Amino acid sequence: MHHSKSETLLVIDDEPINRAILCNIFESQYNITEAEDGLAGLAAIETYGEKLSAVLLDVVMPRMSGIELLRRLHQDGLMEKIPVFLITADVDSTTMREAYELGVIDVIFKPVIPYVVLRRVNSVVELFQARRRLGAEVERQRDKLLLQAQQLAEMGMGMVEALAAAIEYRSDESGEHVRRIHDITCHLLRRTSLGKGFSENQIRLIGMGAITHDVGKISIPDAILNKQGPLSPEEYELMKSHTVKGAELLARIPQMRELSAYRYAYDIALHHHERWDGGGYPDGLVGNQIPIWTQIVSLADVYDALVSKRCYKEAFSTQVAMEMILGGQCGAFNPLLLNAFRQEEPSLRKFYSPAKGGTSNG
Amino acid sequence: MDEMRTARLEAAGVDVEEALARFMGNEALMMKFLLRFPQDPSFQQLKEALARRDAAQAFAAAHTFKGVAGNLSMKALFRQASPVVEDLRAGDLASAEGKMEALEERYRQTLEALSSLE
Repeated sequence: MHHSKSETLLVIDDEPINRAILCNIFESQYNITEAEDGLAGLAAIETYGEKLSAVLLDVVMPRMSGIELLRRLHQDGLMEKIPVFLITADVDSTTMREAYELGVIDVIFKPVIPYVVLRRVNSVVELFQARRRLGAEVERQRDKLLLQAQQLAEMGMGMVEALAAAIEYRSDESGEHVRRIHDITCHLLRRTSLGKGFSENQIRLIGMGAITHDVGKISIPDAILNKQGPLSPEEYELMKSHTVKGAELLARIPQMRELSAYRYAYDIALHHHERWDGGGYPDGLVGNQIPIWTQIVSLADVYDALVSKRCYKEAFSTQVAMEMILGGQCGAFNPLLLNAFRQEEPSLRKFYSPAKGGTSNG
Repeated sequence: MDEMRTARLEAAGVDVEEALARFMGNEALMMKFLLRFPQDPSFQQLKEALARRDAAQAFAAAHTFKGVAGNLSMKALFRQASPVVEDLRAGDLASAEGKMEALEERYRQTLEALSSLE
């Protein structure tokens, strides 16, 4: 099996004749390293580590005995990783029992019989090789599965994003809207105290949830969605239903529930029109009944709508937009959120490149 | 190995066939260690340690001596050395000493057989 001689065997024995006999048995199949006592053996094991295919260990040696070395290897947790054979001249039951308890693979008696040692050592080396190969294979397979799962998740998010963009196109918005809401939400979470306690991964998931905040608009007729001028009370009620419809839509995609972004996406779709004072819809939630991430998406949505041109309005300047929000003209927001927004607003402008024509003042 | 040499070694209690097998048929390697046997200090160390009544050193020397004899398939020597090792493992100096005369005689015969090989 070992044609390539790629395996290394360590022989630890203070008697030259014992080392010579063992080396002579194994040298055609293994690279062999020799050590003259337990201490030198320990140094060799520390150098080669798990590259050693097996260790052949004598018991009675000066400086450090075989049993002392075994205790040390056992303590260092190396006995499971490297097969150690005790080569002993004594059929001393207490030594043998301790050796087995410390994890030796086998005890071989001296004077050795070559074909027996050869067979026993080779069998164990092959077993360990197979075990290592299998371990590596399992690891490879697991990596592959993880990669596939990740690709699937990314594809899922890609589909969701495409859906969200398609809905935006219906209402004559560019698709940039959802992207900016995503960016503004993540920015506020990363750069201000609003994001305290959120991991980067959670922020990423909230950003994904922000993208689908308006999926419910797919159920709103074009005539209402693209109506120029004010909506009638009936039309407005229908328009408001996009929140509940959006949450229902997300809940109905079975695979969506599996995504970690789902709980954020569902809540954001349902509650992104709620307001701090209970004046929003659909549930009239008050204060922190609305999760902070949904509050942030609401503000980002309002801000982006103000500074963009819509079918029912022209774009406001960022200055005017900020004043309108802080002045409460777009409903009440959490004072902490407004604070963070006021502080960060200048840096939000970078999400609006003049070339895209999203705003009046660039 | 010629028959004469083999016969001499056999007469001195060496199982030549078994020893050769232990060296994987490598006769040169076996001869190297057989011829080195007279220079092995362990028997002398055993005697000195016994004289000093140093049981630990005596055990170590006897153990080594027995090991070398075993490896070279010096069956008679190995058989006689084994109880000495066990006596000394148990710290029984007197019992070990009682076996030394016969052991030394066997050791002397072995050396004689080896000297005729050169």
